[in-house]
Amino acid sequence: MGILDLMVALGYSLARMLVAYIISVLLALLVGTAMARNKLIEAVTLPILDILQSIPILGFFPVVLVFFVGNLPKPFGLEASAVFLIITSLVWNMIFGVYASIKSLDPSIFDMAQVYSFGPASKFFYIYTPASKSALLANTLVSWAGGWFFLTSAEVISLGEEEYKLRGIGTFILESFNSGDYISFYMGIGGLILTILLTYIILWNPAIVFLWNLPLLNIKIVYEKLSSIVSMLWNFIKEVFIFIEKKITVPKVFSKAIGLFFAVFILYYLLNSFAGLLSSDIYDVALNFARELPTSLFHVSLILIISFLLSLGISYATYKSREMGYIFTLSGELLASIPAIIWWPLLAQIALASSLGPYLVSLIVLLQGAAWYLFFNIIIFGLSNIRREHEELAQVYKIKGWYFVRTIFLPSIFPAVASGLLSAWGGAWNATVVAEYVVLSGRTFDMGGVGALLNRYTVEGKTTEVALTALLLSLVIVIINKMVWSRIFSRISSGYTGE
Amino acid sequence: MQPVISVRNVVKTFKEGGKALLVLDGITFDIGEEFVAILGPSGCGKTTLLRIIAGLEKADSGEIVFTHKDAQIGFVFQSPTLLPWMTVLENVALPLRVRGTSWREAEEKARKYLSLVGLQSFENFYPRELSGGMKQRVNIARALAIEPLILLMDEPFSQLDPLTAESLRSEVLDMWQWGVTSVRTIVMVTHNVDEAIFMADRLVIFTARPAKVAAIIPVEIPRPRDRRSPEFQKIEDKVYEYISA
Repeated sequence: MGILDLMVALGYSLARMLVAYIISVLLALLVGTAMARNKLIEAVTLPILDILQSIPILGFFPVVLVFFVGNLPKPFGLEASAVFLIITSLVWNMIFGVYASIKSLDPSIFDMAQVYSFGPASKFFYIYTPASKSALLANTLVSWAGGWFFLTSAEVISLGEEEYKLRGIGTFILESFNSGDYISFYMGIGGLILTILLTYIILWNPAIVFLWNLPLLNIKIVYEKLSSIVSMLWNFIKEVFIFIEKKITVPKVFSKAIGLFFAVFILYYLLNSFAGLLSSDIYDVALNFARELPTSLFHVSLILIISFLLSLGISYATYKSREMGYIFTLSGELLASIPAIIWWPLLAQIALASSLGPYLVSLIVLLQGAAWYLFFNIIIFGLSNIRREHEELAQVYKIKGWYFVRTIFLPSIFPAVASGLLSAWGGAWNATVVAEYVVLSGRTFDMGGVGALLNRYTVEGKTTEVALTALLLSLVIVIINKMVWSRIFSRISSGYTGE
Repeated sequence: MQPVISVRNVVKTFKEGGKALLVLDGITFDIGEEFVAILGPSGCGKTTLLRIIAGLEKADSGEIVFTHKDAQIGFVFQSPTLLPWMTVLENVALPLRVRGTSWREAEEKARKYLSLVGLQSFENFYPRELSGGMKQRVNIARALAIEPLILLMDEPFSQLDPLTAESLRSEVLDMWQWGVTSVRTIVMVTHNVDEAIFMADRLVIFTARPAKVAAIIPVEIPRPRDRRSPEFQKIEDKVYEYISA
């Protein structure tokens, strides 16, 4: 496979990422705003999103695939499901970012909008969107990596007998590895790394450096040009909507009818698929699930502990030295982005070397899917929480070393560590699907665990069992969230925030 | 007197911890083309009434009748409530733009009212670059720019330092007296007795919660008013009598 094939493959993957990103931004703005401004939508959506962001969406993927391929023309259905999968790894934290930004606005701003009779479009474009901009960007840093991490899983899908392949860099790399074409394999990886680094250095890093003074390697020129084009486009859309809003008033009944239609539509599909689940052998699936759960729980807990220690270490180094910061942030952006499936052929030497090899690689993959959430949460939201006056206090009273870490550094970043850990926890579960089971050059590595179980069912083409297992896992995760995480959060918010 | 706003038997309760808390207990009075100050102890429901007049809240019963059905209402908020991502000019022009005026026209009008409050050279500044008094001036300019008939002010000077507050009071009074704006009726909520007597034509005094109208006192002292004059003192004594009763 030649250079041209590589470029085309990269183009396809990048286009998929961009489409998914744009849809995610719009989705985050609409859903986040609706949640923040409508009590009913907030009450319904908040718990659902809470679940969605912490369950392994990847586990549900075969179900999504069957849905899209069944309802759309095949090539379009495959693309749609790939983009859908990428969206699911981008969008949740972005929605929460928008929601939190609008929630934290001064309530008198909403009074102002009402007194001066702002319509829905005016509020959306003049208040909600600008208010959410910085939260959207901050979350992009993590989301973009998450998108790449799962990109390739969306490009190569086997469902029972059938194997679907989409043109893209993931397929390119895997195919060249499996056919023994190592030159193409390394070229593919090089091209992918270059693309990932480039998108960060010329796009996201400069965008974020405009808002926060973080140690992120960046080149501003492309971003400046692009952002002026994007804001011109956005302004045009804005003016069109404001114009339409003044000319046409949509009766309330109409918007209510649309809402009702969608609610009925979604309910119908949910009931339908639920009926499908009941027809399978629930007892058998539940037994398998219970057998595999402890293994995954062990994997995820171990990864969380390693992530915690690692992130604290490199966050402190970033805080202490800006130069180190540049290195860590850029390697973080890259490592978090390298697709899960690529790690396996890349570390094939280790994986094939001994019986412990696969476990080591599996842990490395899991770590990439979890640790960076924590690291970026700490450096974006945590380090800015360390107050100037506390640093001066430490200087005046010569509080140094471990004592400084314990009394000032850790307590200041704790709220960010907690929310980062929650993201890492969700990320780790999602990563189990790609870390516990893999087929490499015809050999199957099965580390056990729920992620592996999901893969086994997928390979056998048992979509219903896949959905049921993913559902059970979601249930367990939600229970743990409610019992463990919510307690940790309430303790932290009462002890470490505010004055 | 031809009323501009008629407040008719307005009742409002708030629910707090399962208990219903009566805030406004049958408020009735008329407001004409004049400067009315609503005065009362903190937490008595003055601001709630102003919010009901502005349409920000609904009364449980009773009604607000506007003689001019399509009368525009400007609102000066207690805190400036400016959008941090827009310049001073854009902030003032925005309500006009939202009403369908073109940006060019809206900005022209915004400039006019910014110069009226003395901020013509600050139009390209962002709110964070302004002092508290300047931000409150922008708040006032924004309310005037939609050229309202009625101007509602919710403790507009309470968050400013005493010197800034005093000069802003005089500026608002000047604009009011010289008729350079479209405003014919001002309703101001305050708990500052001195400020109310200094500025208003009539004082509507509320009792403590649940609020009723305790008294309506006309202030017939020619402007500019001298706070140390015996007439001023007399009215002040009278007001305190009602408030402490």
